[in-house]
Amino acid sequence: MHELPEGVRLAPLYLPEDVGEVPWLASVPGAFPYVRGVRATMYTKRPWTLRQYAGFSTAEETNAFFREALAGGQTGLSVAFDLATHRGYDSDHPRVQGDVGKAGVAIDSVEDMKRLFEGIPLERASVSMTMNGAVLPVLAAFIVAGEEQGVPARALTGTIQNDILKEFLVRNTFVYPPAPSLRIVADVIEHLTRTLPRFNSLSISGYHMQEAGATAELELGYTLADGLEYLRAGVARGLEIDAFAPRLSFFFGVGMNFFVEIAKLRAARLLWATLVRERFAPNDPRSLLLRTHCQTSGVSLTVQEPLNNVARTTIEALAAVLGGTQSLHTNAYDEALALPSDGAARVARATQLILAHETGVTDVIDPLGGSYFIESLTAELAARARAVIDEVEALGGMARAIESGLARRRIEAAAARRQARRDRGAEVVVGVNAFRSEREEPLAVRFVDAAAVRDAQLARLATLKRTRDAARVDAALEALRSAARGDGNLLAASIVAARARAAVGEISEALADVFGRYEASATVLRGVYDQQYGGDAEWAELKARVARFAGREGRRPRILVAKLGQDGHDRGQKVIASGLADLGFDVDLGPLFTTPSEVARHAVENDVHVVGISSQAGAHLTLVPELRAELDAAGAGDIRIVCGGIVPAADLPALERAGVAAVFGPGTRVADAARRLLELLDGEAAGSNDG
Amino acid sequence: MAERLAASLARGVASGDRRALARAITLLESERPEHAPLAEELLALLLPRAGGSRRIGITGPPGAGKSTLIDALGTRLVTSGERVAVLAVDPSSPLGGGSILGDKTRMARLAAAPESFIRPTPSRGAQGGIARDTAETVLLCEAAGYSVVFVETLGTGQGEHAVAGLVDALVLVLIPGAGDELQGMKRGAVELADLIAVNKADGATLPAAEHAASELESALGLFARGGEPTPVLQVSAREERGLEELWSATEAFLASGRKSGAFAERRANGLKRALAEAVERTLLHELAPPAVAAERVRLEAEVLAGRLSPRAAARRTVALLLGR
Repeated sequence: MHELPEGVRLAPLYLPEDVGEVPWLASVPGAFPYVRGVRATMYTKRPWTLRQYAGFSTAEETNAFFREALAGGQTGLSVAFDLATHRGYDSDHPRVQGDVGKAGVAIDSVEDMKRLFEGIPLERASVSMTMNGAVLPVLAAFIVAGEEQGVPARALTGTIQNDILKEFLVRNTFVYPPAPSLRIVADVIEHLTRTLPRFNSLSISGYHMQEAGATAELELGYTLADGLEYLRAGVARGLEIDAFAPRLSFFFGVGMNFFVEIAKLRAARLLWATLVRERFAPNDPRSLLLRTHCQTSGVSLTVQEPLNNVARTTIEALAAVLGGTQSLHTNAYDEALALPSDGAARVARATQLILAHETGVTDVIDPLGGSYFIESLTAELAARARAVIDEVEALGGMARAIESGLARRRIEAAAARRQARRDRGAEVVVGVNAFRSEREEPLAVRFVDAAAVRDAQLARLATLKRTRDAARVDAALEALRSAARGDGNLLAASIVAARARAAVGEISEALADVFGRYEASATVLRGVYDQQYGGDAEWAELKARVARFAGREGRRPRILVAKLGQDGHDRGQKVIASGLADLGFDVDLGPLFTTPSEVARHAVENDVHVVGISSQAGAHLTLVPELRAELDAAGAGDIRIVCGGIVPAADLPALERAGVAAVFGPGTRVADAARRLLELLDGEAAGSNDG
Repeated sequence: MAERLAASLARGVASGDRRALARAITLLESERPEHAPLAEELLALLLPRAGGSRRIGITGPPGAGKSTLIDALGTRLVTSGERVAVLAVDPSSPLGGGSILGDKTRMARLAAAPESFIRPTPSRGAQGGIARDTAETVLLCEAAGYSVVFVETLGTGQGEHAVAGLVDALVLVLIPGAGDELQGMKRGAVELADLIAVNKADGATLPAAEHAASELESALGLFARGGEPTPVLQVSAREERGLEELWSATEAFLASGRKSGAFAERRANGLKRALAEAVERTLLHELAPPAVAAERVRLEAEVLAGRLSPRAAARRTVALLLGR
């Protein structure tokens, strides 16, 4: 028996009796319970939509990238916005200095949105937008951009992610507190249902849960539980279930656990159709369909030997297709390092084209249907996810399960266990913890000059503010505030403001005047590493070394693990904090979304030995040198800085110049990071005397 | 060299230098024997400047919203011209000894205010929800000019005594419906508290908070035995309601204590206890050979099990210490 991370035990051989009790074996695609696919014809009529998530720098640069992609065989667009936009800040806000144009495209207004789609007819291109926190101003700008292209709202097709629950759970790009945030979701569903009937009002996302470390059953369970919460929100608005349920879509991550991922997608359709029928008894069968987008797993990519990632992505893409996805994003091989270069993006696209046109995988519907193994695994995953959902529903729904911290703890525990398994080599990652190659070939990655993008955006914002009718903007923003205080539809009010040329940040701030901005508090699990490493000699040796340090210095090594800028990915921060604390470090946690001066002050006040910056979105190049300067100015030249996360090799010299003492790339074992930190500190301790 | 370090740190602390105060606290907390005389020297230099703050203890069960309350209340206080220091104690792991200090993630606004200083400290095995050096850390903050010092501790059910002894007022933060399993802890803590804040008096939990507050009030009326009953206030740290009232009630408690002499008496008692504890610590932990420590643990267990009287255990301990 082989045990998967999910706890599923695999038999070496599956036999007819393993599927004896599976009720859907004789079912067909396009009919309840939809295990075999949401459409009767599936890919035999048309392959899945090739939809690559992309966006960087300015609207013009992303527009050029989009056009090339469409010419290269891509069939749908998917916009990645920069973190400033995600968090509802214009590019001129002091908190977003390092983030503009970095992890996505900078969009400050309708004008930028129009540039983004210049020459791309919006009545034909379906556009998916990953936007949650600042969903109102961004969606409003898109609708107005369509209007001004001459495309009426009812003709627009695409998807808005609008899935705020998973932001509070794992992704952290929220803006407002939970209650007004959920109201915004419902406002968006309501307005789109009434005026953009061809637009998907939600993309209920498990992808980010998997990236944060969730097992398949947690990803599946929590995503569907989110979906149920949104259905209840829509019904509470007085919407007919059949009016909006068919426009809910899903988004799953697909990792290297090949058969589990296929079974997960099949189980997702089964569970959703069953749950929606049970709870909401819709008349329209389309309300039961779980239509999904899939993306290959970002965390499965390695920095070491990046071309190996092409193989990983291909396998994951095949799993998504065999699982019956409606659309697919394949990652580029250099994405563990930076945003995709043009060449890597072409290979990623071609991967899907090869699957669709060279392998024959589209010729037969649900080719694995009836496999003893796949059907039995589908049933088992469905049962396990159902147990997760039942637990959440017993708590009163997903909003409650998130508020109570239960769901987050479960995912973080899974993440820490997984990292520990990899660190120990119990889970093989080729080229990282096994079969390592000594040769390292440098890779040219895409570099975005945040400062230049920011300058360009500042100039545009200035023009926008000079040329618009200020009185009209003020009136629209005031109407928005008043809608927020009352119960007016906030998307409708945001569209009026966007038309008047209110900027994205201005619309967000007007709402923040009423709702406030949400501050998340962080908790970190203890003891997971100790558990996984029970009896491990290396671990014990490191603990002893920490204890020796404490004996010698009069206190434990103290590290502040901080996040800089608007990057809310905190899995890395928490995993390293949890591991170091288990080793005996005193670990200070920094809040999300901080500036260099805030981090410097935190480090000084808590008198840490080291500040560790966890960077996943490229802002380190701007912000880390500033942090060094702030620390020096506070007389804390002795506090060291280390960086972890996604740091391309090309950034290393600049970071070194900024006094960064060590950089820990993706895939660094916690034990190795701890050892390096202790070496740094020991080196200093040896050279220092009293105090 | 040693004197110079203490003197320069003391100068820095007195001039309000953040880095100096932070390093002074580290020195105080250090377990390295050579640091002890330095810390002593530092305290001697700063003692004349200490004593001037209002020391407020904030305790309560996990999840009661203590940090959020301090964030909201502290932010108000700094805008009204106070300088606010927060000393928070986080549990160290009994296994590896490490800790996670996440307090500032819940006090982001106050942490950003120029007139604040927030320092979380690992408990390092100290009992009672405070760290060994919390009392002296308060003195350093006062010498640095902080006019209000909050001491935040996790209400563990036994630790409130220790906190109550080193602050001028102890605020117990509770939330409605925390469950019957907390009752035992609450009773002990409720008796020690000078003020009780029932948090989360907002939104869906408002009726429950009102109910809990009125239940507490009537119960406390019974406890009061002729004196003033402990004030119970409803607050919402999240929506920032009831904070003015909480602070006025705290100030009123302090003012009446100043008039009656209770304030001075409490500080005097706190110092006496700190002195006694320091003597005990020095004798039993620092001077005693390890064998005595092990024997003390055994004797304590015997006493707790009712097999040995405290008097007999004390006699044996002293005999061991004196090598008899």
